[in-house]
Amino acid sequence: MPIRVLPEQVASQIAAGEVVERPSSVVKELVENSIDAGARDVQVETRAGGKRFIRVSDDGDGVPAAEVEIAFHRHATSKLVTAEDLARITTLGFRGEALASIAAVSRVTFVTRSADEPMGTLLRVEGGQVTALQESGRPPGTSVTVEDLFFNVPARRKFLRTERTERRHIDAWLTRYGLAYPGLRVTLSHDGRTVFQSPGNDRLRDVMIAVYGLEVGAAVLQIVPEEPPPEVRVSGFVSPPALHRANRSYITLFVNGRWVQDAGLTYAVIQAYHTLLPSGRYPLAVVMVDLPPADVDVNVHPAKSEVRFRDGDAVFRAVQKAVRRTLLQRSPVPITPSAPPATWPTETSAASQRREQLAHLRPRQSDRQFQFEQRPAVGAPGESVLAAATERLPPLRVVGQIGGTYVVAEGPEGLYLIDQHAAHERVLFERLLAERERAEVVSQALLNPQSVDLSPEAAGMLEEHRETLDSLGFEIEPFGGATVLVRALPALVAEQNSDPLQVLEDVAAALVVGDAPLSGRVEEAVARQVCKRFAIKAGQVMTTAEMEELIRALEGCTNPRTCPHGRPTMIHLSVAQLAREFGR
Amino acid sequence: MKVSCLQENLSKGLSIVGRAVSPRSTLPVLSNVLLATEAGRLELSATNLEVGINCWIGAKVEEDGATTVPARTFIDLVNALPPEQVDMELVVQTQTLNLRAGRSEANVKGIDAQEFPLVPVPEGEGGISIEADALRTAISQVAFAAATDESRPILTGVLAKFEEDQLTLAAADGFRLSVRTIPLPQPVPDPFSIIIPARALVELGRISGEQEDPIIITITPTRNQVLFQLTDIVLVSQLIDGNFPDYRQIIPQDWMTRSVLDTAAFLKACKTALIFARDAAHITRMHVKPGSDLSPGHLVVSATSAETGDDVSELDANIEGEGVEIAFNVKYLIDLLSVIGTPQVALYTTTSSSPGVLRPVGDVDYTHVIMPMHLGR
Repeated sequence: MPIRVLPEQVASQIAAGEVVERPSSVVKELVENSIDAGARDVQVETRAGGKRFIRVSDDGDGVPAAEVEIAFHRHATSKLVTAEDLARITTLGFRGEALASIAAVSRVTFVTRSADEPMGTLLRVEGGQVTALQESGRPPGTSVTVEDLFFNVPARRKFLRTERTERRHIDAWLTRYGLAYPGLRVTLSHDGRTVFQSPGNDRLRDVMIAVYGLEVGAAVLQIVPEEPPPEVRVSGFVSPPALHRANRSYITLFVNGRWVQDAGLTYAVIQAYHTLLPSGRYPLAVVMVDLPPADVDVNVHPAKSEVRFRDGDAVFRAVQKAVRRTLLQRSPVPITPSAPPATWPTETSAASQRREQLAHLRPRQSDRQFQFEQRPAVGAPGESVLAAATERLPPLRVVGQIGGTYVVAEGPEGLYLIDQHAAHERVLFERLLAERERAEVVSQALLNPQSVDLSPEAAGMLEEHRETLDSLGFEIEPFGGATVLVRALPALVAEQNSDPLQVLEDVAAALVVGDAPLSGRVEEAVARQVCKRFAIKAGQVMTTAEMEELIRALEGCTNPRTCPHGRPTMIHLSVAQLAREFGR
Repeated sequence: MKVSCLQENLSKGLSIVGRAVSPRSTLPVLSNVLLATEAGRLELSATNLEVGINCWIGAKVEEDGATTVPARTFIDLVNALPPEQVDMELVVQTQTLNLRAGRSEANVKGIDAQEFPLVPVPEGEGGISIEADALRTAISQVAFAAATDESRPILTGVLAKFEEDQLTLAAADGFRLSVRTIPLPQPVPDPFSIIIPARALVELGRISGEQEDPIIITITPTRNQVLFQLTDIVLVSQLIDGNFPDYRQIIPQDWMTRSVLDTAAFLKACKTALIFARDAAHITRMHVKPGSDLSPGHLVVSATSAETGDDVSELDANIEGEGVEIAFNVKYLIDLLSVIGTPQVALYTTTSSSPGVLRPVGDVDYTHVIMPMHLGR
C-alpha cells in the first residue's frame, strides 16, 4: 500500500483514543476545562453510564462567540502560548486536545456565553463535522453535552464496560475533583438521580464527609503544616491508626491540584504508618502536594495522571514526614471528642495522687517514673520517628481484669479495655528500643570479605555516607564500579543471617528517604525479643498493683495505642457512646 | 506381606529412620515409612528427598511384601505396644497393615509401596572405610560451624576432602571456620572433594552412636549422592553442588600471642559472660595479660549489658607473646569449647581485628577460626 498522510478526521480519531478512553475521560476533560475557566459550580449529568449522554455545565468564564469554532480545532487552547509556558503551567489542561478529541468521536452540543457578551453561542459538532452554529440564550458559563459517545468508532464502543462500571469511573473522577477543589461545588447525577454533591464551602473535611461518610470524615486527621512553609507543601487529611482499609486504593494523591497515580508517594504515606497498622492494612488518605510548577513535569502522558518530579526524593520525604508528624501529634483523637467533665480531677493531680498511693505500695516506683521522664531524645542520624514527643494517654484508673486477658480501666473520656499482652509489648518495646539506641554498636568481622554487587544508585549513596556506615558497624570498601567489598557487618545483621546485598540495599534506600538506617531491623529484633521473652501473656492473672503499673507505663509511651506489630492495645468506649448504647 | 518381629527391634529401627521422615510435604508418601521384607529381615526406610535412611531389623518372614504407613501414627503405635512379638499382616487390597502384639490389635492405613521413592543402596564392593569413632568426633567438631540459613547454600554443607590417607572436614558460616582432619585406614587412589549437607552429617553422627565397625563411604556413579554404610543401616544424602571457599587461605599462618587455657574453666567463664552478653549482640571481651617471671599470665573474660549489668572472670593462662585485647561472639566460643575434647585449649591471636585461632593442645588435626567483633567507631 502506498504511504499517505492520514486525513484530518482519521488522525483526530486516533488522537482521541489517547485522551478519550471511556465516558469518565470525557467527564474528566470537561470538568478540568470548567475548573480552568474559574467555575465555582459544576454540574454533571449522565445517562446510561455516560454512553448515551453526558452534560457538564458550569458558571465559568465562557467562550466569546468569535472563538467558539476555533475551540474545536486540535491544539487549540487558551491556556498557554509558548513552549516556555509549559514549565510554569498552573492550569489542569494545556494540550488543546480535549474538545477536538471528544468531538471527533461523538455528537457534541456546545452552549456558551462569555460574561461580557449579551448573547450566547450554540455549536453542534458530529463526528468532528460542524452541523450547526447559531446564537442561543444562556447564563454566563458553558455547558457541553456529549451524546452517543463512540457512535462512529464501533471498536471502541465494544470495549466499554457495563453502565455500572462506567458510572463508577465517573464517580471516582468527580470525587477526586471535589476533594482537590473544596471551593468548587460539584454535583453529579446519574439518570436524573443526584449521587454526589460537594458543599463547595472551601472546607476539605466537609468534602471528605460527603465522599467517605460522616464517621470517616469526622475521624480523619488534618495534616499538620510545617513551619515555616517549605517549598514542598503537604496538606490534606489522613486516617488515624485505628481506621484502616484492606488496600491502598484509599490513598488519594494530588500534585498541584491534579490527581496523580504515584507508587512512590503512595508508599511514602504507607511508610509513615510503620508499626501503627496491622500488616496487610492500609491507611485512608487525601494528600495534596503543592510545589513550584517548574519542579514538576505534568506532560508525561496525555491523561496527565502521571507526573515526574525534579527532586522525587525531596517530595517523598516531605510527604512521609508530614504524615508521620501528623500521626504523632494528632493521634490519638478520642472516638467521640468531648471536653473532660469539669468534675474530673486534672491530669497532673490525678496522676500524682495515684503515684503517691502506689509509692506506698512499691518503694521503687517513683524512681522508675523518673527514668521514663528522663528518657533522652533518641539522637540517631536522620531522627528516629519515635523521638518526637506526642500526646499520650489520659490518666486511667484500673477497674479490674477480665478473663485474665484484658484490663478494664476508666478514663476522663469513658471506658478503656486494654489487651494486657499488647500493652506490655508496647511498653517493653519502647523501653528496649531506647536502650538499644544508647547501646554501643557492635561489629562482626567476616571470615573472608564478601563482594556485593549493588545497584549504581545504592553504591553512590553508600559511598557518600561512608561515615554513617562505619558508625553502624559496617566495614566496606569500594571494589570498582558498583561493587563493594564487605569486611564486617553490624552484629545485629550478622545474627539475623541476612544477605549483605539486601541489607546494604535497604540501608541505601533508608538513606535516600532520610530514615535512620537499620531502624527497621532494630525494631524488628526488639519486637521479637519483647514478644517472645518478656511480655506477659494473655491468661495471666494480675494483681491491682501490677495492672496499675502496666497502665501507668503505657501512659508513658509514645505510641500507646498499638502494639509493635500494629494491633490495637485498647478499645475505647466513650462516655457518649456508652450513653447512646444504653439509650440515655 | 506377613512378618513378625520383636517390638523392641521395631521401635529402635523406627527411631533410626524416623528423623528422615519429611514432617510436612506435598507428597503424602514422604510422611510415611516403608516396610519391606528382604531375605529374612524387615527393611525400614524413610526419606525427605535430601536425606534417606534405610535400616534392617531381624524378622520372621512368612510372606514377602511391602507397604508404607504414616510415620507419626506408626511410631507412636509401636512405642505403645507391649515388649513382645509383633505380628504384622498387610491387607493388600486396602493397603491396611494389621498389627497384633500380646492382646492388642491395630490396623494402620497405608499407601502403596510403589509410590515410595527409591532410596539407593550400595552396590557391590568398594567404598572408603573409616573409623566410626573418629568420624563421629569429627562431625561433632565441624558440622556446628556450617551456616543454618539458606541464603548461601554451599555454606550449609560440610566440605569433605579425601586426599591420600586423610579425610578433611571443613565448615564455615561466614564468621567462623572449623577444620578437622582424620586418618583413613587405606589411602584413596585419586583425591576428591564433596560437599555434604551439615544436617545429613549430624543425623549420621546421631545414628552411628553404637557403631563399632568402620563406616563405609560410597559416592554414587552420578556423583550427586553419598552413602554411609553402617551395620544394618544405610544413610544416603544428596550432595551440594558448587565450589567451597578455599578455607586454607582463611587460617592465619602467624600469630603474636599464644594463650593456653584450661578448657573447662574457659567454657565456664564464657557461659557466665553469656548471661550479660546475650543482650549486647553476644560480644565478649578477652584481655590477654602476659605474666612475669614470678606470676602466671591471665586471661580476663568480660561482658557488659547496658540493661542488665556486667561480669568479669579471670583465668590462669600460659601466655607466650604480647598482651592483646580482642572480642568474640561468645556463642561461637561456647559451641567450640563444648566439643573440643581436650583438657587444654590454645588461643592464637595477633591484633584485635585479626582472626582468632583455637586449637586443642596436643591435637594438631583440629583448627577453629573465629572472626573478632569490635565496637563501632
